[in-house]
Amino acid sequence: MSALQIKHLFGLQGVSKSDIRTILDNAKQFREILERPVKKVPSLRGMTVVNLFFENSTRTRTSFELAEKRLSADTVNFASSNSSVKKGETLVDTLRNIESMKIDIVVVRHKGTGVPKFLAEHSDAIIVNAGDGAHEHPTQSLLDMLTVEEKLGTLEGKKVAIVGDIRHSRVARSNIWGMTTMGAHVTLCGPSTLVPRNTELLQYKELAGSVSWETDVYKAVEDADAVIALRLQKERMDDALLPSMREYRNFFGITEKVLSEAKDKVILMHPGPINRGVELDSDIADGEHSVILDQVTNGVAVRMAVLYLLAGGRANENA
Amino acid sequence: MKMHKELNIKNLVLKNAKVWNGKSFENRKEVAFEQGKGLATEEFDCGGALVMPALFGLGVDFMEPLRDDVYTFADGLDALHRGGFCGALYESAANPIDDADKLSAMKFRVNSPDLEYNFANRFDIKFLGAYSKGFGSDSLAEMMELAEDDCVAGFGDGNEAIPSTRFIRLAMEYGKMTNKRFFFQPLDKSLRKHGCVHEGAYSDMLGMKGIPRIAETIAAHTVLEMARFLQVPVHFKQVTCGETLDLVREARKKGIDVTCDVGLYHLLLDDSCLETLDSAYHILPPIRSAADREALWKGIEDGTVNAISMNHTPVLGQDTEVNFEDSVPGALSLEIALPAIWKELCARVGEARAIELLSLAPAKLVGAKSAFDENTQKMSNIVILDPNKPHEVSKKDFAGHVSNSPLLGKTLPSSILATFVSGVWTKL
Repeated sequence: MSALQIKHLFGLQGVSKSDIRTILDNAKQFREILERPVKKVPSLRGMTVVNLFFENSTRTRTSFELAEKRLSADTVNFASSNSSVKKGETLVDTLRNIESMKIDIVVVRHKGTGVPKFLAEHSDAIIVNAGDGAHEHPTQSLLDMLTVEEKLGTLEGKKVAIVGDIRHSRVARSNIWGMTTMGAHVTLCGPSTLVPRNTELLQYKELAGSVSWETDVYKAVEDADAVIALRLQKERMDDALLPSMREYRNFFGITEKVLSEAKDKVILMHPGPINRGVELDSDIADGEHSVILDQVTNGVAVRMAVLYLLAGGRANENA
Repeated sequence: MKMHKELNIKNLVLKNAKVWNGKSFENRKEVAFEQGKGLATEEFDCGGALVMPALFGLGVDFMEPLRDDVYTFADGLDALHRGGFCGALYESAANPIDDADKLSAMKFRVNSPDLEYNFANRFDIKFLGAYSKGFGSDSLAEMMELAEDDCVAGFGDGNEAIPSTRFIRLAMEYGKMTNKRFFFQPLDKSLRKHGCVHEGAYSDMLGMKGIPRIAETIAAHTVLEMARFLQVPVHFKQVTCGETLDLVREARKKGIDVTCDVGLYHLLLDDSCLETLDSAYHILPPIRSAADREALWKGIEDGTVNAISMNHTPVLGQDTEVNFEDSVPGALSLEIALPAIWKELCARVGEARAIELLSLAPAKLVGAKSAFDENTQKMSNIVILDPNKPHEVSKKDFAGHVSNSPLLGKTLPSSILATFVSGVWTKL
C-alpha cells in the first residue's frame, strides 16, 4: 500500500493532514541527504519522469529535474515552445504520444486550471502538478510549509500573512489549503483589485474561521509568525489593476517598518523571482528574517519526497 | 439527389393514458388522434404514462451551414424528434441571418430533400434574424425585408454581448418599424472580458476567471432603458440571476414590454459543479450559484419568467476533451430536457405551468402554432412521458456525432416513450 492516500498530486485542496505530514516528514529526511557529499539515492532507478511544461519555468522545472536526478530517475524535458503543441496537437494527443514512450510520472505546468486532473483522467501515469493557471502550485506550498516547520517547529497555531497578488496566485491558493489543514491561520493582504472579490470565500466550507483578509499591510503582518510576499507581475499595471509599482511598494511592499509589526522571530518568504524594491525591499530580502534561499533548497527535498512517495505507492500496487 | 421519404402519417389510438385536457391530466382508457380517413392506425398502450403537448425549443443552434462539421439541420431535427419537440427558434451563433437570401438558404436546408430522415416540413422552425450584418455591430442588417417572412420571429445577434449602446439604439430604432421583438443575451462585454465561469467562491478558489452578475444586470438595464425610450419589445435570453429578474419586474411595472427565459441547465445546476473541473459544465452564460438558481426558480414560480429555453449548443468532442478554460462552451439539451426537468418543475409549479413554460409560452413568444389548441381543447402534436421511469443518459441518446452534455452518464427521473408530431408516430 502507498504511504499516501492520494495517487496523484493535483493540489492541496482535499489532501489530508496525514498525507501532508508524511510528505513533510519524508522531505526532512531528503533534506538531510542533500547535505551529504553524495546526494543521489536509487529510489526511482528505472523509472522515467517527463517534465511537461506548457508555461515558461526555470526555477520549478530545474528544482523538479534536480529532484528526479537525485532519485536516479530518467528524466525528459518537454517544453511547449519547441513541441508539437505549437503545431496544433491537442493536450490529450500530446500526453498519449508521450505516454506511448512508457513513462511513469508526468510533472506538468499549464496555464489552465485543472489540467493535471484532466491528464490523469486520460493517462495511467502518475501526475504531479507543477502549477495550473491561478489554481494551485502544491509543491511550492509544501516547501513553504517545510520551511516554516524547519524554522519555527510547527505550523499549528501560527499566523501566516500572505501579501500581494492573491487573485492571480496559485501559490496563495495552495498555501490557503495546505497551511490551514496543518493548523495555521492565514491572513491574505493585497490591493482590492488583486484579492478574490467574494467574501463568500471566507465561508467556503472548511476554510471558515481559518482565513481572513486585510487591505492594511500593517494589520495583516501584525503578530505574524511568517510573512510570504508574492511576486507582482508587471502586466497587472497594463490591465489597470494597479496604478504603478511605486504606489504598490508604498502601500503593500514588505519593508523593515512593515516587518517590525510582526513577531520578533518572524520568517520572511518569497516564491521567487523577487522584484526587489517592489514587493520586498532589497535589504530585508537579504536580511536576518529572510529564509528565501532555504525555500529553494527545501524545494528540491519536497519534490523528492512527493515523487518518491507517489512512485512508491505505484510500485507497491504493481508488485 | 435523394427524394423525401414518404411521410408515414397515421391515425393514433392511445390506451391507458393520462391525457392533458388543458388543466390537468385525466385518465383515459382510450384516446384517438385522427389525421385523416383511410390512414393506417397505430395503437399504443401507454401504461399510465402522461400524454402532453409537444415542446417548443428556444435557443437552438444547429450550426449548419458554416459549421456543418459539428452539426447539421438533419441532426437538429432528429434531436427535436427525440426530445418530443414540435418546433424551435433557430438562433445560430455561427450563422448570422442578416438578409433575405440567407434566410431562404436556411429555410431550404430545413426542408432539404437531402435530409436523411423524413423530417422536412414536420417541425415548425422559426428564425431569429440578425440586427447587424455578420453580428458585427457596425452596420444594420436588412431587417425590413427579413420581417416580411413570418418565420422570422424577431431580431438578435446570436449570443453576442451587448455592443455599443449607440448601435443598439440605431438597431432598435430601425427595427421598430418591423414590430418584431428584439432578443438579447444580456452580457456586458468588457465586464465579462476573459471570464468563463460564474464569479463567486468557486471561481475564487479555483483561480478561474469569473463573469460577475453585474455583467448581466448592467447590460439588461441598458436594454430596458432603450426599450422604454424607443417603445420596442425586448426579450432576455437565458437570464442567470435574480437581480436581472428584479429589473424585469420593475420594468413591467413601468409598462415596458419585456419577456425573458431561463436556460434548462441554469435551473438544474449550480456552480458547485465547477469543483469537478469537468468541461461538460462549461456553459455560457455561466451556471451561477445555488442562491441564483433558487432565484430563477422563484421567477418561474411567480410568473416573471416566461419560458424555459434549451440553449442547445453542439460542440465537437475534441473541443470539450480539454481542460475547462480551453474548452468550447455549450451543451446539448433537446433530447433530455423533458425527462430531466419535468418532475422538479411539476413539484415546484404544477403541471399546467410546467406545460406552459416548456411548450405553450415559447411557441407563443415566437408566433408559432401551439401544440395545444385553446379553442378546441385538443392537442395536435404530443409527447408521451413516463414520469417515474428512470433513464440513464448515454451517447446514443443524442443526435449527430456529438454528445456534449453535463448530464451524460447521469440518471434522469423520467423517460420519453414516444412522440406524435405532424401525424408521424415514433416510439423511442
